[in-house]
Amino acid sequence: MTVACDARQGAPIPDLVFSCRDVSVALPHKDGPRRVLEGISLDLFRGEVLTIVGPSGTGKTTLIRLLAGLTRSTRGTVTVNDRPIDGPPDGVVIVFQDYSHALLQWRTVARNVALGLEGRLPRGEIHERVGEALRLVRLSAHADDHPWQLSGGMQQRLQIARALAVRPAVLLMDEPFGALDAMTKAALQDELLRVREQTKSSVVFVTHDIEEAVYLGDRVAVITGTPGRIGQIVDVDLPKPRDQIVTRQLPRFLELRYRLHHAIGQTEHA
Amino acid sequence: MPERRGNRTRINWPGLATIALVLALWEIALRAGLAQYQNLPTPSAIARGLAEIAGSGQLYEDAAHTLWSVLVGWAAAVAAGVVLGLLLGASPTLRRYSLASIEVLRPMPGIAFVPVGLLLFGFSLQMELMVIILPALWPVLVNTMDAVTGVHARLFEVGQTFRLSRAETLRKIILPAALPGVLVGARLSMTLALVLAVVAEMVGNPSGLGYAVVREQQAMRPELVFAYVAVIGALGMILNAALTGAVAFVFPTISGRLREVA
Repeated sequence: MTVACDARQGAPIPDLVFSCRDVSVALPHKDGPRRVLEGISLDLFRGEVLTIVGPSGTGKTTLIRLLAGLTRSTRGTVTVNDRPIDGPPDGVVIVFQDYSHALLQWRTVARNVALGLEGRLPRGEIHERVGEALRLVRLSAHADDHPWQLSGGMQQRLQIARALAVRPAVLLMDEPFGALDAMTKAALQDELLRVREQTKSSVVFVTHDIEEAVYLGDRVAVITGTPGRIGQIVDVDLPKPRDQIVTRQLPRFLELRYRLHHAIGQTEHA
Repeated sequence: MPERRGNRTRINWPGLATIALVLALWEIALRAGLAQYQNLPTPSAIARGLAEIAGSGQLYEDAAHTLWSVLVGWAAAVAAGVVLGLLLGASPTLRRYSLASIEVLRPMPGIAFVPVGLLLFGFSLQMELMVIILPALWPVLVNTMDAVTGVHARLFEVGQTFRLSRAETLRKIILPAALPGVLVGARLSMTLALVLAVVAEMVGNPSGLGYAVVREQQAMRPELVFAYVAVIGALGMILNAALTGAVAFVFPTISGRLREVA
């Protein structure tokens, strides 16, 4: 029996993975429901990196949790592979910002990575997949350590490896590098792009860092306001592979950065 | 002594010296007539008493009974406490209905149940076990419940995103995350179980170390009373060390964290 979340079936794959149509979310709050997202229409196409950028308090996290099946929409429809979302979808894994809470502190690095595979694959194949995932994020030397023995950046790489081990069709990332220092962040951005090239997963990446959104994204969706709405969606036509120094100095990079700053600023002052 | 070099266990010599000094002062004070209590034996007399009960075999019979009741009572309290604690920790509804009762029952001194136990079961092992289990249940139950409610919400979401079943979530996330709390409860419960066994034996079930203390007191053998008290103390230390050792052996990664908590 092969794992259900393996996305390499022979059937023709529709290009649309996620589709949100006029989606609104209100979350319970002590003075009644609070509107967090309003009229969101957004698609994710297979193989692309979609970054969602916006200031804090605009419902970015709620939006990605919606795609992960952890939060339900109040209005509108969210579909994954043409079916309405009903709980965490098969082949979709989310990576959280707070890695220290998301890792199983009592398990070794290797056993953390095995979490999504246990009971679904034979032992030998689990071992192989864990080794492969750890190699992808360069943590092979730490397979027998415990998460608390690793630096913050390594712990986040571990969380990414754990997600990659199930070979997800879609990787959802909620400000995964938000808590890391600038150097670690840059290194992990490149690592993410490299890993994505190898795995061909689709990625939704939420961030409040405009440069990060442009650097990583094939498309950038701007989300602003409270409740959050999708403003512009910008195609990022920058050459690949991207480079921390060269890409960030390209006139086109600066132009996109300016445009997104403007898009976020305008709606904020309106 | 040549073996001492190879002995890795650290011996607290200053601590032992203090104990030796106190015993020596005790001995001297009584012999010199500085303290005059008719029934206070000297440490040397207590040591002779200990040798006497050890020689006659009475000590092992009494200790075996107490050890058995403590272990059975403690095991039952831990099993029931873990199951109830997991249920209460997992179900807010159950907590809403039962927390008030728990808060009323929990602070009740376990010793107050002794007459109730006597009424229900007479002078028997059942009575002793009831007196042990009811109070020893609470530390396990409450610590397990708190540990389960304290499992970070993010961990449940991790379980969801990897599409774990409810049984898998319990086994792979809730239980291991709650384990340190459960073990803290189990350790508190062990200490309590010994105290309660001794009390139950003193007033209820006429056997074991607790009864032996009362028996020798009535026989006017103070050196034997003290000898039994010393044995009860030693048993407590042994049980605690055995449990700590077992935890360190079975769960090497959490025993360090546990030591900080307990």
